Amino acid sequence: MPPSSDGAVERVVVLPKPLHARPAGQLARLAGRHKETTIQLVAGAKKANARGVLAVMAMGAVTGTEVTLTVTGPDAEAVADEVADILTAAEAVDG
Amino acid sequence: MTEGLGLVGIVLVSHSAALAEGAAELVQQISGGATVVPAGGTDDGGLGTSTARIEAAIDDAETGSGVLIIPDLGSAVLSARAVLADLAGETTARLVDAPFVEGAVAAAVAAGSGADLDAVAAAAEEARDATKF
Repeated sequence: MPPSSDGAVERVVVLPKPLHARPAGQLARLAGRHKETTIQLVAGAKKANARGVLAVMAMGAVTGTEVTLTVTGPDAEAVADEVADILTAAEAVDG
Repeated sequence: MTEGLGLVGIVLVSHSAALAEGAAELVQQISGGATVVPAGGTDDGGLGTSTARIEAAIDDAETGSGVLIIPDLGSAVLSARAVLADLAGETTARLVDAPFVEGAVAAAVAAGSGADLDAVAAAAEEARDATKF
């Protein structure tokens, strides 16, 4: 892991809808755009790096699940905002 | 296909046209903009694979950054290999050993985020170790 000058940014969101394929894909693409930044998701005993679309889907996070996201690296604040937006905007999609 | 310009293209080779098309539709939706081209069924639309359909799909999927071919079963591999042998030296297309659906999802998401052919192929191969739940 490269050393990071930014501290880890942590957010907790409650899912308004299940974390299905489409938001998982959005997260993976976001992670792909920020290659130096690590986005870790934790829901109960399950955790996943947002880069891994299959791992995120395998979390099986359903409506009402509390997801803790930890973002480290460049632009951690902005990336964490985007992650939270994707997770909470999941209500608008049925994927 | 301008939305996928410059990205690695994906070709899904299946014995069933419906399976290839359905998988491509699903994967495209998840990946948001990757070029995913189905090559399913025989020339007359039956169950089986078609070298002509595979070759046309590779052509459609190529936007300058290479093409990854994901086969479903047995003879899909043989047909894809026959096409690659025919095109020897004229294509950057690469065949990968990966689960059909999970591999396609992982590859298309990687491709959609601008990964190169090596990384897209690696994403598809890693899908073999991903658990479903």
